[in-house]
Amino acid sequence: MEGLVTQIQGLSGTASDVLSLQNLLKQADDSLHAESTRLPPFLDQLDPSKHSLGYLYFLEACTAGPVTREQASSFVLTIARFISSCVAEQIRLAPDKFISVCKRFKDQVLLLEEPLRGVAPMLTAIRKLQLSSEHLTALHPEFLLLCLLSKCYKTALSILEEDIFEVDQPRDLFLYCYYGGMISIGQKQFRKALELLHNVVTAPMSTVNAIAVEAFKKYILVSLIHHGQFPTNLPKYASSGAQRNLKTLCQPYVELASSYSNGKIADLEMYVEANKDKFESDNNLGLVKQAVSSMYKRNIQRLTQTYLTLSLQDIANRVQLNSPKEAEMHVLQMIKDGEIYATINQKDGMVRFLEDPEQYKTCEMIERIDSSIQRLMTVSKKLNVMDELMSCDPLYLAKAGRERQRFDFDDFDNVPQRYNI
Amino acid sequence: MDFSVVNEALASNSFDKISDICDALMLQVAAEGVPFRDDWPFAIHLLGHIYVDDVNSARFLWKSIPATIKESQPELVAAWKIGQKLWTRDYAGVYEAIRGFDWTPQTQVLVAAFSELYTKRMFELLQSAYSTISIQDAAQFLGMSEEDATNYVLRKGWTVDPTSRMLTVTKQAIVKEQKLDPGKLQRLTEYVFHLEH
Repeated sequence: MEGLVTQIQGLSGTASDVLSLQNLLKQADDSLHAESTRLPPFLDQLDPSKHSLGYLYFLEACTAGPVTREQASSFVLTIARFISSCVAEQIRLAPDKFISVCKRFKDQVLLLEEPLRGVAPMLTAIRKLQLSSEHLTALHPEFLLLCLLSKCYKTALSILEEDIFEVDQPRDLFLYCYYGGMISIGQKQFRKALELLHNVVTAPMSTVNAIAVEAFKKYILVSLIHHGQFPTNLPKYASSGAQRNLKTLCQPYVELASSYSNGKIADLEMYVEANKDKFESDNNLGLVKQAVSSMYKRNIQRLTQTYLTLSLQDIANRVQLNSPKEAEMHVLQMIKDGEIYATINQKDGMVRFLEDPEQYKTCEMIERIDSSIQRLMTVSKKLNVMDELMSCDPLYLAKAGRERQRFDFDDFDNVPQRYNI
Repeated sequence: MDFSVVNEALASNSFDKISDICDALMLQVAAEGVPFRDDWPFAIHLLGHIYVDDVNSARFLWKSIPATIKESQPELVAAWKIGQKLWTRDYAGVYEAIRGFDWTPQTQVLVAAFSELYTKRMFELLQSAYSTISIQDAAQFLGMSEEDATNYVLRKGWTVDPTSRMLTVTKQAIVKEQKLDPGKLQRLTEYVFHLEH
């Protein structure tokens, strides 16, 4: 052990030294795990900001076994300090170990019932592990989980705004998008929530998994809240398993959606009351209630398509509100949220519905369109790169070769199955 | 614990930064494992969220505060009452909550700034949503007496009909910037290039 410590101290200077150190550490890994109880004092001899890789190996071995509550408290502090002072280049040489340590950190923080303690360190860990802001690591869902449990929704949003192009493990993406959807729902950013949940339910999956089922339930509800409708079928690019099975697994929610589309609040409320227990056991009752109250909005919006002016009493009657005053408050709220363009005339008790005043001529609007076009161009370039890479992929070529149509004499040549370069 | 950043923000009237400063500081302190909740300025933190109209974050912060602290800090409860009224859209109730407590000097600065901002926001809402509104309702939305409310809106260009006690809204024409700068030409060239290839 002492010898290993000296080697770590000696070989952590240059990049090439660190690579040779890594080989030594890999060989010593089993003995480190065997001696895990003796290791903590050695950690004091190492400096996490200089000997990050060596420290990581020792730390991973120390924390591998079961940890008591007393030990958890000191480990949590050690790991948090390690995360903030370690060198990114060194820990990226052993990403699996780093991820293991961080996951144990999360477990211990939860054991201590202090999820807030883990939020800042986990965010730092993500930044050090990821190769770019487009890279989704296994730590992203852990971070979102900690944010959810400690109710730091605003902090989570900063990570959710980054576009992801590279994923290590599919399971990370499922969890990340599901938790991300929950956080967006909490901050009432329903458009973002819909986008994230959509990713979960349409992601490639050979068999339907539990995360996709729970995500689909929320997806239906958020769809009702944001769009006022739920598309009966998933898009074609969703996996066949999802298209066949998700609806049957989420039956109460699908029926809620069809009740919603009939537009009658009383029927909808009755259905919710009858199935309250199911929604509650899924922890979705709050979201269901939000969907129900969104129906008033939907019904008022529908009125704007038919009428230019309408009295508050009429609105109250048609939308099944209790009084003109209630109708006035609903319309006021919708005007405030930008969901409707109208003015209320209290003198006559009337509401006048207006056209969207946006003329798309202002500098502000041009900036918005500009930034959207820029984003589209970036995505387009990335797709081209991916397309080129895939066109050279042997598996793809073999399949395409087998399935392409043969029109010409030359087409009957076989596509090479293997490239020897 | 070092709250100098928070105090500086309060002193320099940068009220919109309070919520971000408090969030970042809380995460930092929590990561060090120091028990901080007893000394934390929750009332200021909560009001910081309310100031930037982020009632969601204010709600989540309130939920995460332990019950013992809620019971021992009446100012915190009073601060949350404002948030609650905003959450339930009790527009007039917000003013009652603001005036219904004797705030400590440091908190008073923030509350007063919020009150002013809120009145302004309410006025803008009335201006965009109503063509006519009763003096009574306007007074409730603006948190003023009927006479003060009438004078306030008259100064902003509205007209009043004393017999029907109705106010007529006059919208100010907002001129939005429409000039383009030459940099946009460069962008357009890039787009055409991209589409051609």
